[in-house]
Amino acid sequence: MERFAGLLEQLPRQQGEMLRALHLAQEELGWISRDAIRLIARHLRVSEAQVYGPATFYAEFRHSPPPKTLVTWCSGPSCRVVGGDRVRRIFEAEFGCRLGENTEDDELGLWLGQCNGTCERAPMVWVNGRVVGPLTMLETVKLARRLKDGEDPIAWPRRPIKIAPATFVAAEQVYGAEHGSGHGSGASSEGTGQ
Amino acid sequence: MSNAYDELREAAELAAAPRRAPERPLVRVDLSTSSIAAEADRLWEALTPLAAARDADLVRVGTLGLSWLEPVVEVERPGSGAVVYGPVRPEEAAAFLEAALGENPAEDAAAWLIGARLPSPGVAPLADHPFWAPQQRRLMRLMGVIDPESIDEAIAEGAYEALDRAVEMEPMAICDLVLAAGVGGRGGGGFPAGQKWKFLLGAPGPSKYLVCNADEGDPGAFVNRVLMESDPHLVIEGMAIAGKATGSDYGFIYIRDEYPLSIARMQLALEQARERGLLGKDIFGSGFDFDLEITRGAGSYVCGEETGLIASVEGIRGMPKIRPPFPAQRGVFDQPSNVNNTETYANVPLIVNRGANWYREYGTESDPGTKMFSISGALERPGILEVPFGMGMDELLLGCGGGPPDGYAPKGIQPGGPLGGLLPASDLGLKLERPPFTERGVLLGSGGLILFDERASAVDLTKYFSEFCEDESCGRCTTCHGGSQRLVEVLERILHGDGREEDLERIGAIDKTLQNANCLHGQFTPYAVRGLVNYFRDELDVHIESKRDPAQVAPGLIRYLVSDPQSAALREAQAFCPTAAIVERPAAGEPAEDGDAEAAAPTGMPDLMIDDARCIRCDVCRELAPEAVRVEDRVIELLSVV
Repeated sequence: MERFAGLLEQLPRQQGEMLRALHLAQEELGWISRDAIRLIARHLRVSEAQVYGPATFYAEFRHSPPPKTLVTWCSGPSCRVVGGDRVRRIFEAEFGCRLGENTEDDELGLWLGQCNGTCERAPMVWVNGRVVGPLTMLETVKLARRLKDGEDPIAWPRRPIKIAPATFVAAEQVYGAEHGSGHGSGASSEGTGQ
Repeated sequence: MSNAYDELREAAELAAAPRRAPERPLVRVDLSTSSIAAEADRLWEALTPLAAARDADLVRVGTLGLSWLEPVVEVERPGSGAVVYGPVRPEEAAAFLEAALGENPAEDAAAWLIGARLPSPGVAPLADHPFWAPQQRRLMRLMGVIDPESIDEAIAEGAYEALDRAVEMEPMAICDLVLAAGVGGRGGGGFPAGQKWKFLLGAPGPSKYLVCNADEGDPGAFVNRVLMESDPHLVIEGMAIAGKATGSDYGFIYIRDEYPLSIARMQLALEQARERGLLGKDIFGSGFDFDLEITRGAGSYVCGEETGLIASVEGIRGMPKIRPPFPAQRGVFDQPSNVNNTETYANVPLIVNRGANWYREYGTESDPGTKMFSISGALERPGILEVPFGMGMDELLLGCGGGPPDGYAPKGIQPGGPLGGLLPASDLGLKLERPPFTERGVLLGSGGLILFDERASAVDLTKYFSEFCEDESCGRCTTCHGGSQRLVEVLERILHGDGREEDLERIGAIDKTLQNANCLHGQFTPYAVRGLVNYFRDELDVHIESKRDPAQVAPGLIRYLVSDPQSAALREAQAFCPTAAIVERPAAGEPAEDGDAEAAAPTGMPDLMIDDARCIRCDVCRELAPEAVRVEDRVIELLSVV
């Protein structure tokens, strides 16, 4: 808290610094506490309500401490059309909490995330900010259980995306038959698919 | 060209020479949000010692747009072109580098090979790849080629040349040039940027602000992200030129918080530009001052609306206001302002360098130029590309994107984000420009196109978009937040088998009411449901009348049944059911001694069944035991409630 107060002092005392101040609080403290709101209000010379307003309007600002391991479920449509909603139901069942909640002990949390455009990984989740996907439903169950067991999420290899069968213009057409066999994505699909 | 610019360029060319005309092998690793999601950062770490050991230079670049092949790596070798490979897994780094830098990469590295960006013997050109072939990469020219964190590379390739020209031009002449090129607002509005600039130019000073809308909230759209991550200087240069054209000396780049890498790269690019005197006081000795700052968003979709964005820049709740007054009259901190999309600004340097006629070589009368599109959903090849306006949507989604995987048939398209609406697959032939989309009652929007196939439910998708609009409504007008709530309630009911005949009428009434909302968010909220009613009416009717979901997605309308109660695969799946819903069928008394002997289980194990009350329809069991589980319509008693 002292560190945050010190950093806050360095921001200009302007209304326009509000979001920056709130981001700073969240980065330093993990969430926007009542004390943080009071400090920001005092620093920017506005009422606490004027801080509380934006702090609750923007979805990124949290009003309770974050869980130790946070699963952010991508709510985007690209995920949804390939089974994203099932991923949510699996996490809810495995964690025993609803979307937007933490488990009782604050070890795990399942929160809603907005699409950041890594749609080729759909359906996906972020585990402590790292993209994990594309997920099959079995992988989702396994992921949820490993998280419950407290395993390090970063250590798991992610599945490469399935490569489309050879639809690339055949290399023969470009270079003649003698070069045709060894390259082009026809070969690459054999080599790295799944 | 001013002396200041010439000196800058010369120094940059010198500094960037080892990368522009490499004397030793150059390994370019795509480090962007998409590739890092595929562990490109781990790949980078793995490649670092390996490349050093082989006397090759490792270079960070932005993305080429081949998202489904990430992590993408390009190897350029003196005298033998540049070849693009992917996906290169971190654990394959050594084998890959060995092959790609070896005698015969075309064969040895065939497993990773995509194509040659610069001609390379024995390798098919990337330009022949169906994803690449129809592209006209103007904005994306340097993406995936230069290091987005090096201003030298950008300047050596021509960045800030247009700014040097622009500072010597009359503001009105720049506005006229941009107007003549016909570049329209890339956020989807399509309003001529030149015209908008003239409003600001004519507004009284002394302070005027520029705002760059990089809040890209439409799920499935990631055009701005790629722009900022892969070529940030293009955006900065475009804004500086706009500053000169509008008499503004300060700008804000509003970037959504979901794009941390964009924020970091833009921040770095701003610092580098300031260091070189490309931002700040007296740019190129012309007396023109301009500077920029980044505002980091905090997760609010309505902040993509320009008045909401302005409120957010001011640090208050991002609630849209009624226009007029327009931002050019009263914008950021009540000063005259201009808001444009990131991509709109990025087009400006090209126009200043090459002229309006060049710009209009591609595109259509209503939408000149090229457009970046991000394509995703049920596609073989999701990614980001740049094509001329007017190209067929089928060419983009089926040609470049490869259509749905595994032979599924396309069912529909979702253009323009949650407010964009839905189109049926029969509209795949539409030309990618605004008028045909508007005619069909949808929006082309900011460049996100999502294809969905027969596995997806149009009703479920509509509910999602309505829910999204409800969530993201700023709450100022009851019409909007209440209207979207009612809409979600109706759709939810339909998805739970409680659709009623009068629901269509009710949806129509909500739609009509929402047209009275203060801003476009509320007014466009019903676009998705309108698309559902207009183009997916059959599916909606089946939901309402027969209480069935043909796509078998809605949990309330389907159930999972065991078709092979003795399946070994299902017995294994038991352990993975998140709700332990696969249970043993309770024995119905002693098994018969004679008659049922054949039917009795050869394993002697009890039959398995799915406990419907526990089942959450997550599909794990069907994934593991596709032969043993089937999905059926849940028979809902059609009680006639009078």
